[in-house]
Amino acid sequence: MTSGARVSLVVNGRRREVADVPFGERLLDTLRWRLSLKGTKEGCRAGNCGACTVLVDGRPMLSCLLLTHEANGASVTTIEGVEALSVGRAVVRAFEAEGGLQCGYCTPGFVMALVGHLASPGADRSPAAVRAALEGNLCRCTGYASIVRAAQRAAKEVA
Amino acid sequence: MAGVEWVAPSTEDEALRYFSSDPPSAVVPIAGGTDLLLDLEAGRVGPRRLVSLSRLPWRELEWAPNALRIGSTRPLADIQADPRVRQAVPGLIEAILAVGGPALRHRATLGGNLARAAPASDVIPLLLAVGASVELVGADGHRTVPVDQFVRASRETALRPGELIRRIVLPVPRPSAYRWHRVRPVNDISHVAVGGSFDPGTSEWTVAIGGVPPRPQVERDRTLGARPSDAAIETFARAVAERVPLRGDLRASEGYRRRVVAILVARTIRAVAMADQIGSDRGSAA
Amino acid sequence: MSYSVRPDALEKLTGQVLYGVDVERPGMWWGALVPSPAAAGRLVAIDASAVADEEAVVVTAADLPRLLPNGSGDPERPIFPSTAVRYRGEPVAAVAAPTLERARAAAARVRVRLDAEAPVEDLDRLFPDWPSPETMRDHPLVNGHVLARFGPVDRAFRTADELFQETYRTSGVHQVPLEPHACVADATGSVWHVTTSTQTPFGCREDTASLLGIPESSLVVEGSWVGGAFGSKGSALLEPYALVLSRASGRPVRLALSYAEEFQLGRTTLPSVLRLETALRNGRVVGRRARLLLDTGASLPGGDFTLGYAAGFLLGPYGAPALEIEGYAIRTHKPPFGPHRAPFIPQVAFAIESHLTHLAAHLGEDPIRLRRATVWTEGQTTTLGQRVGPFGLDRCLERAAEVVRAWRVDLPAGHGVGTGAGFWSTGAGAGGEARVVLTPTAVEVEQSEREIGSGSVLRGVAAVVERVLGLPPSHVVVRYQDTASGPFDSGVFGSRTVAALGQAAEKASRRLLTVLQERAGLRSTPRLAVADGRIVLEAPGTSAPVETLFTDSERRAGRLVVDGRHYGRAEGGIDPSRAVVGEFHPFTDFTAAAHVAEVEVDRELGAVRVVRYHAIHDVGTLIDRRTATAQVEGGVAMGLGEALTEEMLWRDDGRLENPGLLDYRLMTITDVPPIEVEFVEGFRGAGPFGAKGLGEIPIVPVPATIAAAIHDALGRPLFELPMTPERIARALAERTVDRPPVGRGAPA
Repeated sequence: MTSGARVSLVVNGRRREVADVPFGERLLDTLRWRLSLKGTKEGCRAGNCGACTVLVDGRPMLSCLLLTHEANGASVTTIEGVEALSVGRAVVRAFEAEGGLQCGYCTPGFVMALVGHLASPGADRSPAAVRAALEGNLCRCTGYASIVRAAQRAAKEVA
Repeated sequence: MAGVEWVAPSTEDEALRYFSSDPPSAVVPIAGGTDLLLDLEAGRVGPRRLVSLSRLPWRELEWAPNALRIGSTRPLADIQADPRVRQAVPGLIEAILAVGGPALRHRATLGGNLARAAPASDVIPLLLAVGASVELVGADGHRTVPVDQFVRASRETALRPGELIRRIVLPVPRPSAYRWHRVRPVNDISHVAVGGSFDPGTSEWTVAIGGVPPRPQVERDRTLGARPSDAAIETFARAVAERVPLRGDLRASEGYRRRVVAILVARTIRAVAMADQIGSDRGSAA
Repeated sequence: MSYSVRPDALEKLTGQVLYGVDVERPGMWWGALVPSPAAAGRLVAIDASAVADEEAVVVTAADLPRLLPNGSGDPERPIFPSTAVRYRGEPVAAVAAPTLERARAAAARVRVRLDAEAPVEDLDRLFPDWPSPETMRDHPLVNGHVLARFGPVDRAFRTADELFQETYRTSGVHQVPLEPHACVADATGSVWHVTTSTQTPFGCREDTASLLGIPESSLVVEGSWVGGAFGSKGSALLEPYALVLSRASGRPVRLALSYAEEFQLGRTTLPSVLRLETALRNGRVVGRRARLLLDTGASLPGGDFTLGYAAGFLLGPYGAPALEIEGYAIRTHKPPFGPHRAPFIPQVAFAIESHLTHLAAHLGEDPIRLRRATVWTEGQTTTLGQRVGPFGLDRCLERAAEVVRAWRVDLPAGHGVGTGAGFWSTGAGAGGEARVVLTPTAVEVEQSEREIGSGSVLRGVAAVVERVLGLPPSHVVVRYQDTASGPFDSGVFGSRTVAALGQAAEKASRRLLTVLQERAGLRSTPRLAVADGRIVLEAPGTSAPVETLFTDSERRAGRLVVDGRHYGRAEGGIDPSRAVVGEFHPFTDFTAAAHVAEVEVDRELGAVRVVRYHAIHDVGTLIDRRTATAQVEGGVAMGLGEALTEEMLWRDDGRLENPGLLDYRLMTITDVPPIEVEFVEGFRGAGPFGAKGLGEIPIVPVPATIAAAIHDALGRPLFELPMTPERIARALAERTVDRPPVGRGAPA
C-alpha cells in the first residue's frame, strides 16, 4: 500500500506537479510547505476562521478542510495569484484604499472569499450579500468596519 | 491519519467494489470531508482507505412532478443558490445557510451531513420535517429509506456495510422553515434548532427538533390546520417542549434549552404559516 | 476624501509578508510540547522510552544542565517543572523531529506519570461566602493583597441609611491573535538566535535569557511580522523551549502552537468576583467600597502584577467623600494570568459602570448626569491619590448625553440605549530609542518594533516624524531592526507606541532639524520638503538639498543619523497615606472614553443584537485620524465579544472545555454594528504634540456600555460577563430585581 502519490494542480495559472503527497495531507499544508506559498494562512485548522480560504476552480474553499488529492487536477488560486484576476485587482485596490486590514493575518482569507463571491456568475453585489459572503471569515483587529467599507467599494468597482 | 490511502473512483460500480473488499471500519467514504477531516486529524476515525465520492456523477439536482432529487455529493452552496429550491422548500435554504460559512458550504454536501449524522447537523432536522428520504446504493442494489429511519442516533445511521447514499429525495412543494438558536448568529453550533413543514395534502404539521439526544425528535400534528391560531401554536409548542428529551452541556443548560424549544417551535410554525415566509428573517433574533 | 494608505497594505494584501508561523530555516526540525495531563499533582516520572522515532529528541528538566551553559536556568521560574505541575497543559517536556507529524507523534508517546491532586479552579467553590480578612490572612492560595483607603470610610458605612450593594462576576477571556505563537530558534552557534512573532523583541530577549540563565548579549531576537498580539506576545513563551530543542538536536527548530494549545497555554485574563458597595445618606453618596477576588491562575509567588494595577481602576474615574478598595489575587490551577489589551479593566469597568447605572436607576437620576457629578477632572486626585492630568472624560460624557438624546427619538420597542465609560493609563514601559536617518531622498526611522497590526509603528511613529519634519508620508519610511542592531525599546504594549516610542522619534526629528539649522546658520527652525524627488531644507529665503549640509563622512555614507530617546515617568506618585497594604502601580497618562450603544433584545430568547455604536475618545491630540479610528473600531469589536460571547470554560479537573473558535466565540462580521468614532482633542497627553495612547482604551467601556443598553431595554440588571442569551433569559425570568449581598449576582 502506498501512502502518497503525485498531485497535479494548476496553481495561480501555473501547472505544478507535486510528488509524493501523502493522501491525508490537506491542501493548506501542500501550498504552504511544499509549494512555499505562505500567503495562505493557517488559522484554527477546523473550518471556523476562514484564514485559509483559497479558490478551487473558482469557488472559495477552506484549504484546511480539503485533502490535496481531492483537488487533483483543479485550478487553485491563492492570494499570491490574486492580482492576475481582474476582480482580484479590484478587491486588492479597494482594501488598500480603505485600509481594510491591520495585522493582515486574516486578510488573504477575506480577499479570496470576496474575490470568489464577486467573480461568481451572477453574483449578488448588494451590501447584504457582500457582507454575507464574508461571514465565515474572522478578523480580530479591525472590528470589520474597514473590511466592510473595502468590500462594498470593491463590489461597486467590479460592477 | 498517517499512511491512509485515498482513491477516487469515477463510476458507481468501482466505488462499491472498494467497500465490498474491505472490513467496514477500514474503508470510509469521503464527500466534502468538512466534518470527517476533523475526526481523522483527531484520530477519532482511523480508516486504512478513504474512498472519495467527488469524481462520481452524483451531483444532480432533478425535478420530478412531486419530488426534488439531489445528488448526495452536490455542494450545499449550489442548492442554496438555486431559486427553484428556495421556492419549493424554503426551509432547506434556511437550514443550509445555518451550516458553517460560505466557503465551507462550497464543499459540504447533503449526503455527507446525513452519513456523518452529526448531533448538531442543521440540515437533518429540516430533512426530517419535510419528510425527505434517502436513496441508498449497495452491492445488493438500491433501496429507499425515510430520513426518519435513516438517522438513528448521534453518529449512527441505517447504512449497511458497503452502502452509500446516492441521492436525497424531498417531496415538493413543501412549505417549510428552519429556526435555530445560538450564542452567535453565524458560524456557530445551533444549541437548539427546529425544522418545520406543513403538508397541504394531509394537513399535517411536522416539526423536528435538533440538538436533542439521541437524534432530532420528530413531532406531528393534524389538529392545527393550515391557519393555526396563536393560542393553538403556543399550546402545541409547549407540549412539545415538555416531552422532548433534553440535556444540558457547555453550550446551554437543560432548562434554557426547553424554553428555547417552545419558542422556536412556535416561531417555526408561524413562519411556515405566513405566506411570505422567506425574507430577511435569518435567525432567532428576528 | 484623501487616504493615507498603510505602507504594509499591498504586501499584506498579496500575501508577501512572513509571520512567525511562516519562517523556515534550511535543515530545520519541528518541535512539539508535551503537556501535563493533570492540573495539579506531583511529577513522578517522564518516560520517553515508548518514543519509537529514533531521530526524535526529547528534552525534560533533567536535560537542561547538559544543554544550557550555566546550569538549569532561572531556579525561580523553571521552564519545565521537576516536582509539581501547576496547570493542565503546562509543558513538562518538549520534542523535536524532522517533521511536525513525527514531532507530534513522538510527543504523544511521552508518558507523564503524576500523583494527581484535586485542582482548585473555581473562585465560588473556594469561597462560597465572601471571605473574611481572617480567612484570607494566612490562606495558602492568596498570592497578593491590596488595600487602599481615603476619607472616613468606616463612618460613612456606619452612618449610611442605605447600602447599595452588588456582586459581579466576570469570565476568563483570551486574546486570540489569529496567528498563534510561533518561532524558529537556532542555538547551534555561540550566539543564539530566535525569529519570533513578538510584540516586545527586547522584552523577549531579556525574559528568554533570564529563563535560560544566559547573558542577553549571547541571544539575538528577530521579530517577524506579527499576526495580532493584544498583549499575548510579550515576554517569552515558546522561545526558551525552541532554543533548548535546537541545542539538543543541533538544528534550527520551529515551534508553533495549535489553536487548542494557544487556548490551553494562554496567559490571559482570568475570572473574578467583584463586590461594589455604595453608602447612601438621604439619597446622597457618602462612601464607596470595592472588593475584588481575582483568579490569577498559576502565577508564581509574588509574580502577579495585575492586582496592584487593577486596584486603581476598581472605583472608576469617580470621586466620593470616602473610598476603599481591597483585592486579593488567588492562585488556581489555570495557566498564569497574563496581559490582554487593558488587562482585566473592561471587566472592572463593567462592574463599576453597571453599579453606577443601577444606582442612577435606583435614585431616579440620569446615569450620565450622575457620573458627571463626580467624574475626575484635571488637578483632582485618583482613588490612590495620584494627581489627574488633562482628562477629557467629562467632555466625552457630555457628548455621549447628546448622542443618547438623539438616539432616544423614535427608539423602537424592544430596543435600549446605554452609556458606559472608562479610563486607561498609557505609555507604560521603561522607554525607547529611535534613530532618524536623513538621506538625500528620504527619511528613515530605524527602530526595533515590528508592526503588530494597529499601525502604531508604521503609521503612528511615521506620522509623528512627518509632522515634525514637514514631510509627506511617501518620504518617511519606518525600518525594523533586530535586537543585535536596533536601538532599545520596551515594546509595542501598554498603548505606548505613539506616546513613548513616538516621543523618541519626535526628539530625534527635532534634533535633526536643530543640527541642520546650525549647519545652515539659520535663525529659525527649518522644515524639510520634497523637491524633484530630493529632500530639501526650507527656511525663509532658503531652499537647499539636504546633502549640501552633510559632512564629508555623511556624504560618503549617504546618510545623517540622529538619535532620540524617551524614558517615561509616572505623573505624580501614589499617596502613601492611602495605600494601606500591598504594592500599587501609578498611572502615567490619563486617557478616557465614553461609549453609547443601541441594542435590540429578543425578550423570549435573551438574544442581543447590537444595532449601532458610538465611541467618543479623549486622544489628547490626534496624530493620524485613520489609524486612530481603526484602533477604536477594532477595540470596540473585541469588547463586544467580551460583553456578549467570549468565555473560557474550565471544568473542575482543570480541563478547558472550549479550546477552539467554535465554542470560544469571536465577533463575526454579522455581529458588529456600524461604529461611529469621535475624538475629543485638547486634553493634552504626554506624547508627541500632546497625543495619548489609543491601543487599549477602546475596549474598556464596551461591556459596561452593552450592559447599560440591555438594562435600558429590559429594566433588568445583569451581573455576569459575558451576557449570553441564557444569562439574559435567566435575568428576565426573575420576578424581582435581586441584589443579594453575597453570592451570585443573578441567582440561578
